[in-house]
Amino acid sequence: MLGGTPRDARRTERYLDGLMAADERRAAEIPVDTDIDPAICLATRQLRADLVRVHPSFRFEEALAARLAAGAARLQAGLPVRQPEATAAAGILAAFRGPGAAEAPSNVAAGQSAVAPAMGLSHSPAMSFRRLPDVAAHPRRPLIMGGVGVGVASAAISLGAVYVAWRHSHPTSGRMSRAVRAAHGRASHSGRRRSGVINEILGVVS
Amino acid sequence: MLAKSEVGARPARLDRDRGLVEAAQRDPSRFDALYRKYLAQVYSYAYYELRDHHAAEDATERVFMQALAGLPRFEERVDEFIASRGVTATSGSASDMADISTFRVWLFRIARNVVANERRSDRRRLAAPLEDALGLSAPDDVAESVAAREAGSAAWRAVARLPEDRRRAVILRFVDEMGTAEIAAVLGRSEGAVRVLLHRALRSVAQDLRRQLS
Repeated sequence: MLGGTPRDARRTERYLDGLMAADERRAAEIPVDTDIDPAICLATRQLRADLVRVHPSFRFEEALAARLAAGAARLQAGLPVRQPEATAAAGILAAFRGPGAAEAPSNVAAGQSAVAPAMGLSHSPAMSFRRLPDVAAHPRRPLIMGGVGVGVASAAISLGAVYVAWRHSHPTSGRMSRAVRAAHGRASHSGRRRSGVINEILGVVS
Repeated sequence: MLAKSEVGARPARLDRDRGLVEAAQRDPSRFDALYRKYLAQVYSYAYYELRDHHAAEDATERVFMQALAGLPRFEERVDEFIASRGVTATSGSASDMADISTFRVWLFRIARNVVANERRSDRRRLAAPLEDALGLSAPDDVAESVAAREAGSAAWRAVARLPEDRRRAVILRFVDEMGTAEIAAVLGRSEGAVRVLLHRALRSVAQDLRRQLS
């Protein structure tokens, strides 16, 4: 019975057809060929129960529908369904809204940015399909590339310089510090100030 | 073998998607109806083959994009389709013919190629578990739920161990509920070969399940 002959294969197919038809009409009983291997019947029923159809997420379904709609629009316009790789790699223009957004050029067509062609960037057709606001239609604030890194480094250097200056003007007053200063023959600002006052007093006295 | 005159006598019944396909060929925005109709089937096929939701989504997108791009060139090749499958009047497949969609066959041929390329290009996804999607039963019966999950994962493990062509045939048969004729057209084999393929696949799964249970 466990042979792979066409006759056995046909028997298995009939059982499979019967199983699927019974499922469709929600019948509990399935006609079984007595010659068929019970192990195959069991495996078939197991797979029928377990290999269920999977549906993608609603979000994915709608996003792909929008991309297909954009592709269909391109196809109707005589363009390829997908944008060329170079254009796609340039990315979608996403600009910051500036205070002058209200003064955006009036000749900007809906769904098409005026600055995009000049920048060599493409506007997402999905935006026009979904009637999303076109952020690229508004004037943009200039961006400094690498601005974050430069800013952080600059701030760190400034803080370091301030700290060194502060430490220089505020020496510690511990015994050890005084000993170190004495050993190096150096006097602190306050020490110099104190010694100056003492010298003046001594001079006055003398 | 069906005579050509017989074949030509009923081409209108042959493709159940003919209306939708023609509408989409005239106006590509009407492709949406075909997309909605076959999304779950294509996605399921990709998911069971790739075992990863993200990879399945990527593959699904590629399949439908390629289908949309190729739709103007799509032809319902009835004669070739029948001749390539070696349908015989006595095989019982003739009754199947009214339910066959050459568009679905065409779409799944694209899916087969896309998924095969995905599997070749990235094998890391094979580590991802599929069991989450399997073996769900009534939530109030914990013992039954656990048993069903174990059996489900055992069945899937057995399918996952099958050789590529047998696994594909099983997925197309059980998940996408295709008949032998359609599977044969998708895989580019004769109906007889697919029948034997499925029989051997089920035999292997049965042996595997028996081994796992013992």
